[in-house]
Amino acid sequence: MLITQLKAKETIDALVVGKAFILNCFGCKEVYFPEKCATELQKELSDAGKVTGILTMDYICNPENLKLHLEARKDEIAAADVVLVFSCGVGVQTVAGLLEDKKVVAACDTLRLPGFQGVTPQEFDCDQCGMCFLNGTGGICPITACSKSLVNGQCGGAKNGMCEVDPNMECGWERIQKRLTKLGRIDILKNAPVQIRDYSTDDATKECKQSE
Amino acid sequence: MERRKQVDYTKYVLKDNEELTALLEGKDNIFVIACNKCFKEFESVNETDGEDFVKFAEEQGKKVTGLKKVDFLCNQILTAKKLEGIVPEGTDYIAVVSCGLGIQIIAEMEDLPVIAASNSLNYIGHHGMALTQKTCGACGESYLNMTGGICPVVDGSKGLMNGQRGGARNGECDVDPKKDCAWEKIYQRLEKQGRQCDFINQDVQLRDYSKTNFKVVHDYVTAIRDSRLTGYNGGIHPSENKELAEDIPLKPFPAPETVVIPVSMHAGAPAKPVVQVGDTVKKGQLIAEASAFISANVHSSVSGTVIAIEPRPHSKGVDVEAIVIKNDGLDTLADSVKPAKPLEELTPEEIVAIVKDAGITGMGGAGFPTSVKLTPGKPIDAVLLNGCECEPYLTADHRVLLEYADDVIFGLKAVMKAVAAPKGIIVIEDNKPDAIELMEAKVADDETLEVATVRTKYPQGAEKMLIKNVMKRMVPSGGLPADVGAVVANVSTAVAISDAIQKGMPLVERAVSVTGDFMKEPANFMVKIGTNVQDIIDYCGGITREDATIKMGGMMMGAVLENTNVPIIKGSNGIIAVNTDYTEANECIKCGRCMDVCPMELAPLNFYKFGKENDPKALLANNIRDCFECGCCQYICSSKIPLVKWIKSGKQAIMEVK
Amino acid sequence: MKVTDLFKEGKFVVSAEVGPPKGIHIEEMIESAKKYLTKIDAINVTDNQSSVMRLGSLAVCKALKDEGFNPIFQMTCRDRNRIALESDLLSAAMFGIDNVLALTGDYTKLGDHPGAKPVFDLDSVSLLYTMGQLEKGIDLGGQELEGEAPTFAKGAVVSPCSDSLDAQLVKMERKIKAGAQFFQTQAVFDSERYIKFAEIAKKEFDVPIQLGIIIPKNAGMCNFMNNNVAGISIPASIIDELKADKERTKAGITGTEIAARIIRECKDYCQGAHIMTLGWEDKIPSLMEQAGL
Repeated sequence: MLITQLKAKETIDALVVGKAFILNCFGCKEVYFPEKCATELQKELSDAGKVTGILTMDYICNPENLKLHLEARKDEIAAADVVLVFSCGVGVQTVAGLLEDKKVVAACDTLRLPGFQGVTPQEFDCDQCGMCFLNGTGGICPITACSKSLVNGQCGGAKNGMCEVDPNMECGWERIQKRLTKLGRIDILKNAPVQIRDYSTDDATKECKQSE
Repeated sequence: MERRKQVDYTKYVLKDNEELTALLEGKDNIFVIACNKCFKEFESVNETDGEDFVKFAEEQGKKVTGLKKVDFLCNQILTAKKLEGIVPEGTDYIAVVSCGLGIQIIAEMEDLPVIAASNSLNYIGHHGMALTQKTCGACGESYLNMTGGICPVVDGSKGLMNGQRGGARNGECDVDPKKDCAWEKIYQRLEKQGRQCDFINQDVQLRDYSKTNFKVVHDYVTAIRDSRLTGYNGGIHPSENKELAEDIPLKPFPAPETVVIPVSMHAGAPAKPVVQVGDTVKKGQLIAEASAFISANVHSSVSGTVIAIEPRPHSKGVDVEAIVIKNDGLDTLADSVKPAKPLEELTPEEIVAIVKDAGITGMGGAGFPTSVKLTPGKPIDAVLLNGCECEPYLTADHRVLLEYADDVIFGLKAVMKAVAAPKGIIVIEDNKPDAIELMEAKVADDETLEVATVRTKYPQGAEKMLIKNVMKRMVPSGGLPADVGAVVANVSTAVAISDAIQKGMPLVERAVSVTGDFMKEPANFMVKIGTNVQDIIDYCGGITREDATIKMGGMMMGAVLENTNVPIIKGSNGIIAVNTDYTEANECIKCGRCMDVCPMELAPLNFYKFGKENDPKALLANNIRDCFECGCCQYICSSKIPLVKWIKSGKQAIMEVK
Repeated sequence: MKVTDLFKEGKFVVSAEVGPPKGIHIEEMIESAKKYLTKIDAINVTDNQSSVMRLGSLAVCKALKDEGFNPIFQMTCRDRNRIALESDLLSAAMFGIDNVLALTGDYTKLGDHPGAKPVFDLDSVSLLYTMGQLEKGIDLGGQELEGEAPTFAKGAVVSPCSDSLDAQLVKMERKIKAGAQFFQTQAVFDSERYIKFAEIAKKEFDVPIQLGIIIPKNAGMCNFMNNNVAGISIPASIIDELKADKERTKAGITGTEIAARIIRECKDYCQGAHIMTLGWEDKIPSLMEQAGL
């Protein structure tokens, strides 16, 4: 699950050389899409006569449906020098894959959002590390709750319980410490073996890609 | 076109036996919670990892105090409800079989120690749809502009930004030979577009790793959760697009030459015509009378001659018996059109009788006869007047609030009197500040009335949502608003009631928004019932895209008009010309979005699943009858499954079994 | 020379800290060390401290060693993955640099290259473990090293005055289990709090601890550290002392007195002191004299 932010206006202006066809993806809009800013910006471009057409749909990451929509708008796309896509990175890549001869550019930057697809964004996140550490941490994920993703305890940089990287964020390891203390299970932390993360756990992804 | 095959995928697997054995050492009395979706194979309904774990634990001689499987364990709010009081006494540990999210949710929720029995896996794509090879590393930068739309961060094994590293052999990645070298692909694509120069001449790219900011993300999450979860679960925020017409005052739509007035414009039995071809009728004259308890009178909206009584096209998509009247342009009023007694002198029964005679039905779209609503047979604490107009595009109710404020209040007071309600609450979404301000001023001196401002969120205006949000009461499954002491009426209905009492004019015209991205000149009109929709569209300059979709009603619940030669009826609050959706349904990927947005806290994906399996029992067990077809699930569906259609046919299937 | 051997001899081990320059000229630093740090047992060399890019720690360790000093190689996990860390440990051992202080490292964003990729492949605990593995002649990939294995004096850090002391003690225990043989503490200004910590640590672990010392320069610096630096808590009384006579404070006299007093108060509860000079190397001889070292 992702959130998108508009690129700086100057960046987008620089991207639109000649005329643009604009594609908005609202598929994950219930999560986040900078609709207001995007609309304003598109209106400006439109008023400047730089837009051949605007298509707003959802889930442009679905190539079949995107194809149907692009087909209906093919004249406007042909008249454009660039296709400007307001979506996450998956969407842009899908458009670029379907319009191989066209310059397809991204108007947004994409950030990760906690929580898996499908549900309301969560305070929690799971980074799919493939070696769940939650058993040793009272159910608080050290990969995502700690800025440094440390797996052997706090770095010591926390001040008043807040993370040294971002003072708005509680130190994940202090939360773990508190939770385990509350549960009377602090021993599992003391006695845990040295944890070393295995970064080669993306086999499932590979398998999935191969079977496609 | 051949559809892409969907690949089974998984987000977690049970830890291996060795690890589980070590985990369970010294632990006993375990309650098991397993996530039952989203997961694995597309065809399976129930995941077996939960049972597998129970079996394993029992083989280890452990006492398992229970197993609970929950769809979408990560849906914190619904999960909390499902798990309330479910963990039995004598349980010492809770084992969770789920992805890391579910485990963290349970760990936070329960005081008992939690055992994570599974590992989460990397999987492809971050979106419902994107079970494709394309992924996004959410790097916060988007390098795609430089690279012909191929992502070097995730497609390249090393996430290199400045070109290939030289390790590729025959175009395959040296890290993973099954992978094409991303940079090789990038060069090829740029070459095809003649853009290599752009690439060669660009500045050296340094990736900025400081971009993701906890506060930014945290604030998003908080804001989203807040907007999504206040008032009631879920709901959606479609683009409002109200600015197209919200500032355009209501104008009377020019009287048509003929009107086509269907005898069925309401929920319940069609009315029975009481005029004949050749009859002269006057404006406001009864032309068809209610034929059953749930039915409604029909009146002529013009004066003139009845030229036909025959089936005519209707917005329902089928031909419906209609009375066709040639307008003589004189607007001669029927004798029956005369004011009733002042409201203070009317008894509740008299008010109900006037409303019934005037053929008033719910004007928010459903068309339930209002007189039936006004005889709830139960004590009523409050009348909620629905001025939310939560449907995108529509602005008719908004204009009515602004331009007919006194009639709205009169109508509300009449309803309050009819049902003996001590309180009247006008509920307006916060996207209409001018209407809120005006109504607040109007009710300032009346202690029995108040204005409630609610957040703009669809389906805020649905009866049950409104009651839950404003009165904090839950209409029980299968119940009516009156069961919790509420009556809900639409603002246009209130105006119709006011007209019926103050002028004696039955329901013969209504406010209609004519709008949409592709309506040439959007407008708001007071339109006579029976006016042809195509005439209205033509009057507004027609549509600007040939392939636009025309809907009667709103974007969400309105009916698509294949044929625009249909009349405006009592429930027609809008005519909109919007973008055509060319998408086709894919198989359900169990992403859980429908469940997340369902205001009734149902699991719409199951309606599709069991509908396909033709299993009315299971549909019933999943409370399909609580669904009021708001369409949130269909809107959010990442597979574009026409869920409302499945729900309607599911309800039909249940009726047939009965 | 391993500092662990000094502890074994029962010596009160005093170390000081130097920060490599942002550039390639270390003559001044060496001169300063020759002038003020001759009575010191070991010199810590920081590793891109506060995530600010500087000359490498290992190179400066080597230069100091060549000049006859005993360096402690500080290693953070911020900038290198396990391959680079192991490789640098071998490099250090080859140069005869055998004191290593394992740190997780400040986050990249806090320094002068905020956009840099934060690595944190390992952390302080796993880095200590890694040293232990290399001493056994095995690397983290499970491969055997050729020839004789290196040996290290494995150091770690702890914050005795942290607002979450319990967490610090747990982490300390984990570091010891992972192989830590001595500790240097975050700067201590509150002797009482330190002693409380030291008593627990002695009872539980009994490893050599060097008391961390910063010579306070002025009240403003103290307030800044109180507000911004993790694990530092400076009592109001010390700040008042610094405020009392601005001239003495400016000359470093008051600060040196305070630091010496803290060392004296805690001396029975530590096995050494680690002085973080922050540019005041010249105060060290006086400090040591006043502290009775």
